[in-house]
Amino acid sequence: MKILTALIKKEFLQIIRDPSSIIIAFVLPLLSILIYMYGVNLDSVKVTLGIKNDDANSEISTLVKSFGHSKYVNSIVFDNEKDLTEAITRSKIKGAVIIPNDFSTKLSRAQAGDLLIITDGSEVNTANYVQSYSTAIANGWLNTSKFQRFTPTPVVNSELRVWYNQDLNSHYFILPGSISVTMTLIGILLTALVVAREWERGTMEALLSTRVRKIDIVLGKYIPYFTLGMVSMMFNVFLCVGIFKVPFRGNYLVLFTVSALFLFTLLGVGLTISSKLKNQFLASQVSLGIGFLPALLLSGLMFPINSMPKFFQILTGILPPRYFITFIESEFMAGTVWRLVFVNAVFLTVLGLILFALVYKSTDMRLKG
Amino acid sequence: MQTVRINNLTKTFNKTTAIDNLSLDIEKGKITGLIGADGAGKTTLIRLIIGLLLPDKGDIDILGLNPFTQKPELVSKIGYMPQKFGLYEDLTVIENLRLYADLKSQPYDFEKMLEFTSLTPFQDRLAGALSGGMKQKLGLACTLLGTPEFLLLDEPSVGVDPISRRDLMKMVRDMISPETTVLWSTAYLDEAHSFDTAVVLDKGKCIYNGKPHDLASTPQEFEEKVIELMGGYKNEPSKIAQNYTPIDYELECSVVADNLEKKYGNFYAVKNNSFCIKRGEIFGLLGPNGAGKSTSFKMMCGLAKPTSGTARIMGIDILENPAKARSNLGYMAQKFSLYGQLTVRQNLEFFAAAYGIGLLDRKKRVDEIIEVFDFQTVQDQKSEDLPLGFKQRLSLACALIHNPPILFLDEPTSGVDVIARREFWNHITSLAKKGVTILVTTHFMDEAEFCDRISLFYKGEAIAVGSPEELKQQAHTSTMEDAFITLIKESGK
Repeated sequence: MKILTALIKKEFLQIIRDPSSIIIAFVLPLLSILIYMYGVNLDSVKVTLGIKNDDANSEISTLVKSFGHSKYVNSIVFDNEKDLTEAITRSKIKGAVIIPNDFSTKLSRAQAGDLLIITDGSEVNTANYVQSYSTAIANGWLNTSKFQRFTPTPVVNSELRVWYNQDLNSHYFILPGSISVTMTLIGILLTALVVAREWERGTMEALLSTRVRKIDIVLGKYIPYFTLGMVSMMFNVFLCVGIFKVPFRGNYLVLFTVSALFLFTLLGVGLTISSKLKNQFLASQVSLGIGFLPALLLSGLMFPINSMPKFFQILTGILPPRYFITFIESEFMAGTVWRLVFVNAVFLTVLGLILFALVYKSTDMRLKG
Repeated sequence: MQTVRINNLTKTFNKTTAIDNLSLDIEKGKITGLIGADGAGKTTLIRLIIGLLLPDKGDIDILGLNPFTQKPELVSKIGYMPQKFGLYEDLTVIENLRLYADLKSQPYDFEKMLEFTSLTPFQDRLAGALSGGMKQKLGLACTLLGTPEFLLLDEPSVGVDPISRRDLMKMVRDMISPETTVLWSTAYLDEAHSFDTAVVLDKGKCIYNGKPHDLASTPQEFEEKVIELMGGYKNEPSKIAQNYTPIDYELECSVVADNLEKKYGNFYAVKNNSFCIKRGEIFGLLGPNGAGKSTSFKMMCGLAKPTSGTARIMGIDILENPAKARSNLGYMAQKFSLYGQLTVRQNLEFFAAAYGIGLLDRKKRVDEIIEVFDFQTVQDQKSEDLPLGFKQRLSLACALIHNPPILFLDEPTSGVDVIARREFWNHITSLAKKGVTILVTTHFMDEAEFCDRISLFYKGEAIAVGSPEELKQQAHTSTMEDAFITLIKESGK
């Protein structure tokens, strides 16, 4: 016990003296939250559209006006097609709506009026916005214009209610998700270095020639970095909820318990890498490759898992961040869903224990040779 | 009573045999020196004794215990100091001591230990910020905690100055009890000569185990005898020097230091350092660790900017025209500073290019160097896999690739065995005879004897300059080591 305490104390002193661990635990979360908050935006944005009206009917000019009044669209009116084409080519406008000269005539005859919507396919996301905004504005206009009487009464009247995130504010799920990225960095990258460092500097050889037991070495690494990770987790949650006002509808006890399990599995990954490789450079490369990048790309944070190819969907099953991100997003936005908490907690515990056994097994008590 | 009993021990790594059917007994209560060339198996033997490595074959019995099955009991009775001292560089002196005390379940009673190592004023300093000599003392202090029955020290005196070396020896002798067994691996044969027993390893076999005085009565003779045991050293004319093309020039001094000074805040790392090295002269910079030798060295080759003063290489001011000045010198750094991932040939090709040898001449020059340095058999091996002696020869080859008139050698033989050192100095003295000017730092006092002139450095200043004979006379001593210690102590008063 005394040996373990001494090792833990030593590790804490090293953490305090090493600026990189403090940067990863506290500066990096701050930076990444700032970037996700102000840099990344997955929400709809205001798009600039060109409008060309070839219909002389005065009623149609109200359609042009309703494009101008929309809060989703900036509209620029063009008189000739050449200018319009050039504006699209120069990316001054993201799309265009052309109203043909027989538009009002067709509508007055209770026929379908044709609208030409041009979108820029090189930016797929924006192109989708241009299409849906233009259609919505045109339909909205139709319902209030004098042509309304020609349109049939809809059979289905759909009403939209957004649950969990009423404002459709993507920050509300990205910020909690970014916590998992920070945790992955502490849990995998930082710890991947620490055992390798002892081998490289020759301190492991000195440790092994004392009465240190295997379990002391393993716990002597798990406990300090677990503590660092949990403190950083609290700091992250404080930033999200306290500073950036992300609504939290769950239970803090549940949040921190599942986070602890998540951290436990991550430490297992990092320490296994470190104990196996015994080389800091290699360990950091491997931990970025198998730890950090999957956490970012395959965890469902950036890209939904069910739109991935089948192979990757199965692959995500062994990635700890996948379980954590599902959990933390719902814990923040929907509150505690016990079934979900339970499933994810069980998976994380099982993964964590397997990895702990692996770390224990790969901790060498003798030099290789 | 025997502390160590080893019977028919064999240990192989991949295909190389490190320990070859070795049988060895080490007597209790004696200090035993472990000597041998690089790769003779010294470190492997020590690691086998404490159970850090597993043997392939054979029996080991240490203090009546089997290191394979009873390692936990064994380690509580031994103190082991690995080559890198095993210190945590980002922990302070006192934190390192506390850690090792806890690991060995010892009380925090360091006063005597700190006093003894003169580390008391530095207890809150980070171990990484200590000088080589102090690190070594701290490493030893950590090892001695808990008064081990059996002390194993793996080359503790590599890269430290004669004063620290003497302190270390005194520390071990004073701190141990008469029952303590010590196994001390060393490259210094004068050290080994002063021990109770000497064990000489060669290619994993024990070729001598007995009293050093039975072999020879003086350290010098002892060295000759050990070299003889290890297969002998033939003093052949240096092919490297024969191949060197002398360069004609008119200058009297090829290397000049002109009032070099380096100040960090209020602290002078180097103060008022002036000297002039003549063509073909071997000039030695000697001094304790942290005296300012390395700083002077770096300023001389333009790697550090002096606070005031300057240096001239072949008459070219290093501050005004560093690239041109440097093109006249070959530099061999303290640590192996070649590209470990590159082969011997690739390293040579790279340095040939870096020193500005044209593409057409490059292949010819590299072939020539490979032939002269006898690299034919290893030219396609990765340089990090070479034995230390080869690495050091490769460093010298890279420094000489552009046939420079001046060589700068910063502790070139640190950690190298005695035969390789002899060969190396044969090349250096022969090169000097052909007109190469040499500036060298070393902690080996027998190497200092090869210098034409020595500048003795202490606390940033040259406290004595002269030939080895002059310095010995000035200190009224018969050996260079004693002269070194006397002159430093006198100037400290």
